[in-house]
Amino acid sequence: MRDIRYITFIFYLIIPNLFAQEIKLPSNPLAGQIVFEVKKCIECHAISGFGGNIGPDLSRKYYYGSFLELASIIWNHIPQMDRKYRLLKVERPNFTEEEMLNLIGFIYYLRYLGEPGSVSEGKKLLETKGCLNCHQIKGQGKKVGPDFKKIAEYTSPIYMVQAMWNHGPIMQERIKKMGMKYPTLSGKDIVNITVYLRQFTGGNTAIRMSAGNPVNGKILFKEKKCINCHSPKSETSNVGVKLTGIDLKKSVVEIAGLMWNHSPLMLEYMKVKSISWPSFTKNEMADIIAYLYFLGFEDEPGDPIKGESIFEQKGCIRCHESGGKGEAPDLTVMKKFGSPIRMIQLMWNHAPKMEDLILSLNEEWPRLTKTEMQDIYAYLKKVTINK
Amino acid sequence: MEISRRDFIKLVGGVSGAIAAGSYGLNQIIDIPEKLVEKLKNGHRIESWKSTICGLCPGGCGIRVRLINDVPVGLKGNQYYPINQGGMCPTGHAALQQLYNPDRVKGPLKRIGLQKSGKWKSISWDDALSTISKKLIELRKDGKSHQTVFLGYDEHGLMKEHISRFMKAYGSPNYFQTSHAQNNSIPFIFTQGHGLRPTYDILNTKLILSFGANFLEEGFSPIYYTKLFSHFKEAAKEREAKFIYIDSRMSLSGANADRWIPIMPGTFGALALGIAFVLIREELFDKEFIKNHSFGFEDWKDNSGNKHLGFKNLVLSDYYPEKVSSITNVPSKTILEIARDLGNIRPSLVLGDQGAVNNTNGTYTQMAIHSLNALLGNFEKEGGLYFIDKPSYDKFPPVKEDSIAKIGNQRIPVSKLTDGFSPIFDFSFEIFTKNILSDQPYPIEVLFIKGNPLFQSLYQHELAEAIKKIPLVISFDSFINETNEYANYILPDHTFLEKWDESSNIPTVGFNHFGIQQPVVEPLFDTRHTGDVLIDIAKRINGTVALAFPFESYKDEIHNVVENIYKSGEGAIASEGVEGVWLEYLQQRGWQIGRYASLDEFWNLLLEKGGWWNPIKKKKLSSEIFKTPSGKFEFYSQILKDKLDSLNKNAEKNKSTKETESLLVKLNFSAKGDTIFLPHHENVLYEDNFPLILITYQLLTNRNGESSNLPLMQEMFGYTMRQYWDSWVEINPVIAAEKGITDGNWVWIESSVGTIKARAKLFPGIIPSAVGIPFGLGHTSYGRYAKGFGVNPTSIIKNHYDLISGLPALHATKVKISLAT
Repeated sequence: MRDIRYITFIFYLIIPNLFAQEIKLPSNPLAGQIVFEVKKCIECHAISGFGGNIGPDLSRKYYYGSFLELASIIWNHIPQMDRKYRLLKVERPNFTEEEMLNLIGFIYYLRYLGEPGSVSEGKKLLETKGCLNCHQIKGQGKKVGPDFKKIAEYTSPIYMVQAMWNHGPIMQERIKKMGMKYPTLSGKDIVNITVYLRQFTGGNTAIRMSAGNPVNGKILFKEKKCINCHSPKSETSNVGVKLTGIDLKKSVVEIAGLMWNHSPLMLEYMKVKSISWPSFTKNEMADIIAYLYFLGFEDEPGDPIKGESIFEQKGCIRCHESGGKGEAPDLTVMKKFGSPIRMIQLMWNHAPKMEDLILSLNEEWPRLTKTEMQDIYAYLKKVTINK
Repeated sequence: MEISRRDFIKLVGGVSGAIAAGSYGLNQIIDIPEKLVEKLKNGHRIESWKSTICGLCPGGCGIRVRLINDVPVGLKGNQYYPINQGGMCPTGHAALQQLYNPDRVKGPLKRIGLQKSGKWKSISWDDALSTISKKLIELRKDGKSHQTVFLGYDEHGLMKEHISRFMKAYGSPNYFQTSHAQNNSIPFIFTQGHGLRPTYDILNTKLILSFGANFLEEGFSPIYYTKLFSHFKEAAKEREAKFIYIDSRMSLSGANADRWIPIMPGTFGALALGIAFVLIREELFDKEFIKNHSFGFEDWKDNSGNKHLGFKNLVLSDYYPEKVSSITNVPSKTILEIARDLGNIRPSLVLGDQGAVNNTNGTYTQMAIHSLNALLGNFEKEGGLYFIDKPSYDKFPPVKEDSIAKIGNQRIPVSKLTDGFSPIFDFSFEIFTKNILSDQPYPIEVLFIKGNPLFQSLYQHELAEAIKKIPLVISFDSFINETNEYANYILPDHTFLEKWDESSNIPTVGFNHFGIQQPVVEPLFDTRHTGDVLIDIAKRINGTVALAFPFESYKDEIHNVVENIYKSGEGAIASEGVEGVWLEYLQQRGWQIGRYASLDEFWNLLLEKGGWWNPIKKKKLSSEIFKTPSGKFEFYSQILKDKLDSLNKNAEKNKSTKETESLLVKLNFSAKGDTIFLPHHENVLYEDNFPLILITYQLLTNRNGESSNLPLMQEMFGYTMRQYWDSWVEINPVIAAEKGITDGNWVWIESSVGTIKARAKLFPGIIPSAVGIPFGLGHTSYGRYAKGFGVNPTSIIKNHYDLISGLPALHATKVKISLAT
């Protein structure tokens, strides 16, 4: 008996490693927008004002959290949502595993996409950041750097940061020579500057980037050797700040701003070590930032012991009784919990039956926090493997 | 499994075949090449779908074609394509009957008998193109390249540019399009400074006032507007929106209106101005717009200090309701009601087209109607009207002209009068025909022709004589028709299901779009794409003519355009979940929606989904909306004044002593002074003493007569009147009773041009002083399903044109009717 306990303990210790990379990085997180529309989520939830107003607008600068945190938000408001479906006579959608991943990935991604800018703020920033000490616009400013009018057609703010990044070493040198303060970027600075500059473009040309592809970004992160200094996970890194120590729950331009702001330090270090400056083309910067942004998507491994206890406390076990004696199937024999996505998909799809049962028994809907979700998943995963 | 030809016919005919079979028997409906039957016999019954764009009308609907063993057997609307969103008109459903039509020209033909003799022989493409190229090379050598004419029909987008490039590089200024739709932008040029047709925000308006605009049936894209209108009707229940339709005849749009207001033909402009009178008198107009964005509303002084009449005082003095009522037969009370509704229910929207503008005074009428939108301040406003941005992608580099082409292109086009005075419009059959018959300004040696003007136009007899006179006539049509019976060669194009093409930015559609037409089946016969034929001829001519076509094929040209769209980063492939609002969300943040890894991926996705679109409207400054000399909406058209002044100067250059007044008389203007340049009502001059005005109109089932060879369309031709395979004449029951005519009687309809016979249809939806005959039937050629069915009303219409735009005045002929015994 003692041996068995020991083995179980060891198993619990190693099991977190089995969860690594359980959620595949999406190559097109926008694919979930199709699910969002086709499944009619948009009829109740708007995205920045586009859509219904029955549920909350999903894009108000809010970072919802990891996959299971988002899943817990959805889970907890299922009864409210189902009441609306019945009231509005809208068919409740079911999801496939892929649809569930795409939908949650899409909602997660919204923060990355950013917000529109303000022309008046952009004008102010251009003047206060000292941009016109080197660049010209509307005949104002100096001709040290390129005329802003030439780059006004680059409509994506991230293009602007990418261009700045690529000529960062030259720019930093000139800034030093001119005795200027290094211009840092925060919040929506670069978005505001871009929309202001956009006013000066002629014709209809507008060059845009595609929203970032985290899969490409991961590859680029290695290829551009970012990984040599910055570890994406908790392992120790040689030089740079660990990425886990940086708040990356921000929009693409905010993260780009962080990169830009740390570039003088980085340049100094690279000079010492004779490392060449990494430059970006096409969509590369957007992709790398999408990768960084998605580092927070996958959840930390949960605790299966706690999960078992939550499974009991929340009353799941009352229906999903071991040996199939309860109202609902015995989850331990289902062998369906290969990924958290699968678990959430099953939970969503079976919710109406569960709701009816709970209502009949005069019980409360079992609300779950992110951590509880993580723990339950760890527990179900464990029992599935055990079986 | 053994499949007989009969089985296959059943399969592809489906519903359509079954309907038509009722009249003609299965084997007559379609003619299937044996190789396709074999494919079905030996295949594994694999079903697949391909996207393309319907080519049976210019509406540009996306369709999905169903194939069994790669053989087209059915089709439906493409639900993702933003124009039709899965919808389709009846004509589209008959597309397979065009593909499998037994009367198709199956390879190049050379006429061996007299014109109209119907005697042809098959020749090879090489022989045909070699002969034609030799003639064209010879003409260029002799400095006569300008003696070549390309008479197109309704080409738009890339095909229009392709032909223009050919003609420009070759050295001829004589490329004209005969479709009416191509020439109706003139009133918009006069008031807006550009000819872009606005798109009407029917979705968000609360009142639609239509002056004869039969947008559900005769507009540029009826299915697009049907979709919009259905949403309007749905929303109308909640917001008490309404649709008022003014026309002499209750069309399909009229029948769907909340109120139909009958009016005398040719008086719509007077009614619009009567409504303007009430809006001005009761101060129901947008004062801010009028003050800041319009020109010529108030009386004004020019730089020399001369005082000019403004729109307001013209309207207030000449268009009070009682007077307008006497012109239009619309009661004063009704005029007040409409105007007050229009002014008080906002946003409200005004449209004008077909019934209102198909007359000698059409340009002024459209100017008057459009002025109402200006009074309401409707430009670039929700529930009003918008202009779609020019696409950001380029198509081709400019054409290089050699010295021969330069000289040729500078010659006066054959469509212009040669007496030093040329009207404002670019093309009219009358001038074109007279010039060719009199070798003015030079004889024509070669005529390329697309379409069937000898069926569709007025002035048919004279035009036939003119075509007869041209030594070399080449037609590109897929069927033998009234016009190409006079041709020397027929170089048959593919049908649209067999060919590459594109359909982009259909006028009045509310967003930038690019639909791709791809072959869903290999060409069934020895036909060739007209675009490729022109490239082939250009290569044979060589030099700068060949250089004008840097691509090997028309398909490559399309691919080049697609590449430019891809590079632009704008818009998105039309697919599920790609709603306009989402595109806007992303574009506001500087993103493009599509994540296309490569051009190949973009191209493949485009083929799969059928099209690309960009619904984002760029916010425009007033100077971008109006390109007039004042940069504003011009009630007083300075462009029209400049045009007339320049015509007068031309006359002086040729030592003419004509003054402006006599010039205007020549254009048949009755107005004098400043009124000429303002929207006003010109009386229609009926030359005959007959009692009834003849109205013609198009039906959704056969808009321009080209669907007459589709049996399903014959079977459905007059579905609203329950009249099939035949024409009819609509007569108001009051007049019918006076004449002793009952429903279904044979009736003679006689004008000073000719007489036709049709069955009477007693119809209270037509005013007592008019009779209506649908256009589309009455072919004397065009295959077994078209020839000999019904009558062609244009054959008895007098050769009248809009005084300014040159468009045919289809409602300016009077007729009498009598019971045929």
